[in-house]
Amino acid sequence: MREKIELKVNGDLYQVEVDPRKTLLSVLREDLELTGAKMSCGYGVCGSCTVLVDGKAVCSCLVLATQAKGKEIVTIEGLSDGDGLHPLQESFIDHGAIQCGYCTPGMILSAKALLDENPSPDEYEIRSAIAGNLCRCTGYVKIVEAIKAASAKMVRSWQISPSSAAGRRKSTQD
Amino acid sequence: MADMKLPRMLFGKILRSPYPHARILNIDTSKARKATGVKAVITANDTPKLKFSLHPPLRADKMPLEEFKVRYVGDEVAAVAAADENTAQEAISLIEVDYELLPAVFDPEEAMKPEAPKIHDDESNVASYLVRQFGDVGLGFKEADRIFENRFSTSRVTHCCMETHGCIAFFLASGRLTVWSTTQTPNFLYKEIARALGIASRMVKVIKPFVGGAFGGRRGMDMQDAICALLSMKTGRPVKICNTREEEFTTSRLRYPMVIKLKTGVKKDGTLLARQATVITDNGAYNYKGPAITGAAGLRLDLMYKVPNTKFEGYVVYTNNQYGGAFRGFGSPQITFAIESEMDMIAEDLGIDPLEMRLKNSYSAGYQTISGAKITSCGLQECIKKGAELARWREKRGRRDGRGIGMATLVHTGGGTKDYGYNCSEAFVRLNDDCTVSLISGASDTGQGSDTILAQIVAETLGVGVEDIEVITGDSDICPLDLGAWGSRQTFTSGNAARIAAEEARRQLLEIASEMLEANPGDLDIRAKKVFVKETPDRKLSMAEVLAQSYSKKGRPVAARGFFDEQISTNRDLHTGFSNPFPAYAFGAHFAEVEVDRETGEIRVLNIVAAHDLGRAINPMAAEGQIEGAVAQGLGTGMTEYLVWEEGQTINPTFIEYKIPSAIDMPNVKPILVESIDPNGPFGAKGVGEPGLVPTAPAIANAIYDAVGVRIKDLPLTSEKVLNALRELKNGKEEALI
Repeated sequence: MREKIELKVNGDLYQVEVDPRKTLLSVLREDLELTGAKMSCGYGVCGSCTVLVDGKAVCSCLVLATQAKGKEIVTIEGLSDGDGLHPLQESFIDHGAIQCGYCTPGMILSAKALLDENPSPDEYEIRSAIAGNLCRCTGYVKIVEAIKAASAKMVRSWQISPSSAAGRRKSTQD
Repeated sequence: MADMKLPRMLFGKILRSPYPHARILNIDTSKARKATGVKAVITANDTPKLKFSLHPPLRADKMPLEEFKVRYVGDEVAAVAAADENTAQEAISLIEVDYELLPAVFDPEEAMKPEAPKIHDDESNVASYLVRQFGDVGLGFKEADRIFENRFSTSRVTHCCMETHGCIAFFLASGRLTVWSTTQTPNFLYKEIARALGIASRMVKVIKPFVGGAFGGRRGMDMQDAICALLSMKTGRPVKICNTREEEFTTSRLRYPMVIKLKTGVKKDGTLLARQATVITDNGAYNYKGPAITGAAGLRLDLMYKVPNTKFEGYVVYTNNQYGGAFRGFGSPQITFAIESEMDMIAEDLGIDPLEMRLKNSYSAGYQTISGAKITSCGLQECIKKGAELARWREKRGRRDGRGIGMATLVHTGGGTKDYGYNCSEAFVRLNDDCTVSLISGASDTGQGSDTILAQIVAETLGVGVEDIEVITGDSDICPLDLGAWGSRQTFTSGNAARIAAEEARRQLLEIASEMLEANPGDLDIRAKKVFVKETPDRKLSMAEVLAQSYSKKGRPVAARGFFDEQISTNRDLHTGFSNPFPAYAFGAHFAEVEVDRETGEIRVLNIVAAHDLGRAINPMAAEGQIEGAVAQGLGTGMTEYLVWEEGQTINPTFIEYKIPSAIDMPNVKPILVESIDPNGPFGAKGVGEPGLVPTAPAIANAIYDAVGVRIKDLPLTSEKVLNALRELKNGKEEALI
């Protein structure tokens, strides 16, 4: 019993016919051929399948494709703007935060979700935000450095001062 | 690999034994064959029934699909290719296998006993017995002021690459088989697959796509590769098999657990006189790398520090357990845990600072060990001193107040080993007429960055930018001979081959340029793609002009082959084993600071300083990344990673229960790069891929002792063990030993 659903991914609308038991991860990878989100554990612990759904980082292996109807989904393929890389992507490259690259799409999206909500996180906040993204290659040191550097660059380019960003952070926690 | 698909591709699934030890009486595949969407079902009868050895003449004891007997939970029995994964999964559940259960044995020490069930129907379960001795340990112990005897044991840990094992096999009607595989060694995998299938090796081509980590887990053929090929041969269609995470935990390789009985004799001033070790390795159900890894562990007895008398005995024992394989460190982490824990115990007993005792017994470049190892460069002392300074050793040590600092050193190969009897690498460099450079190498990049390092070596030699180099690797048809990504060898061995090829290409270029500039080739240099006369740099040509002359005017391409065979190793004396096992030696020292809660036993690792001698840091950022990642694995190995088995069954095959460190679990990690400039490495470089993992666990164990006075001799280091030991200490036992 397949169901016709419409998914909005990276700003594009897709009409797909799916088995209702299929996860968002499977549909992204198999039906839409967006293979940036990876399968590594399949039960929501490793974070390799992380995508953004309405701005929140989620494990797409734990989301049914049908649950994603009407949501704004962002995958790693949708992060860059035309030819330019997102500051997080650039920062990961500049800081050597990518080794095998398998965890990288999910890691970057978790970082993006963090910085969208908290533009100047401290180290603990960064590590907490990516605690659900396992990496076996890097030991996370350069990943954390890359996210810190990207946040600094993004804050500068948004012309928001860190103190008003802190104020913004406080208000979202209330 | 996981992202790849081909037209008309089928999905394969493997039926595995649920029992640790059983005879196969009958396999009924009729129901599976009839299921909709199933295109092939195979058993041993569909194979050439050849037993496979990863490394002949090591005993061949494993068939891709077993015919008569299964020997561990997960042993391959049958396989299915179907239109999709779900159909394949259902189909294997329709295969009916009648087993006759046999008694099983899981503990290698039990398996060694004469009454133990025989796993390969031999007289004994001892797959290999290794012995290696130099000097006279009897005499050494006689002269010793103190003798220490301890038993250590290490645990079952596994690679947990973020990408699971996978392969696609496509058997063409022409008879050629292409296999895309998550491999570290494409130039050997094709031969291994050919051997397993009983076909000529030229009929097999292996392509290594981007791979999501390896760490030794992809060092050799997985039965999955051969089975996938068989399914493709049967169906004439591409077939893909990809492990689920559970299959990855339960059926792929792991680190060989070892029991290490160590006996060391010392003078009261701390000088090491004799070291004897008996190692019992759990080989699991089949030979793979057990004997090699046990032998590698044995090398450390006289390689770690100056030791004039050594004796090593290794028992590699079959059990009905999942079998191990290569894993970053290759025997070194296990034996180093024992040796480095004991060094601290000895120092404590003698009243000597453990750092001073290590420095006292360490050697420098130019030393030759009693077993023949020739140390061409050695930054160990610098690693110890620099690491101690950054970690604030003096200040933090010896308080016994719940916080402590511990250290451990390592020695490892920095350039591979003659595991196959040779350790060579070949590379091709072509300077294209548009000033780009093609480097074709047999090396394999699995995320560690070897492509980048090779490009840097070639760029430096040729006077071009790294961005001008196209690195072509990972295709066994095109790429030349290279043993592959293991043994921390590619920077040294593949790097030397690339450098030699680049130097020859440079020579050819300069020969053309010398005609054009009317100068001797020896008077010319190349920088930033300009060829110029060294004495009068205004006399110059762009590289493009020289190449245009060469290609267009003279019809001479600039292309070269580089071949490097590490001649440095002397041949091994077959009788005594005297030899230089590695062409270069990597050294390092870790300093771990911990905090131990006396109420709960909880161990918090606060800081790790990891100082590593890598000869020359060709890419410091990449080298640091390797060390930081390895420390994370060392931390996991030491503390939170442990495969739990019951009756041969893995009962924690998920990331939820088998805990690898996440970003929030990591302490501060500070790498230090020490450059000892090896005379034989490319620009002085040695490998650093494996060393970062080796001393972390013993450094933590030593820190725990410094913090609260308890010694844990069995990995992993858990809060339960600490708490039990603290209780025993409290109850007045002289020394709490776990």
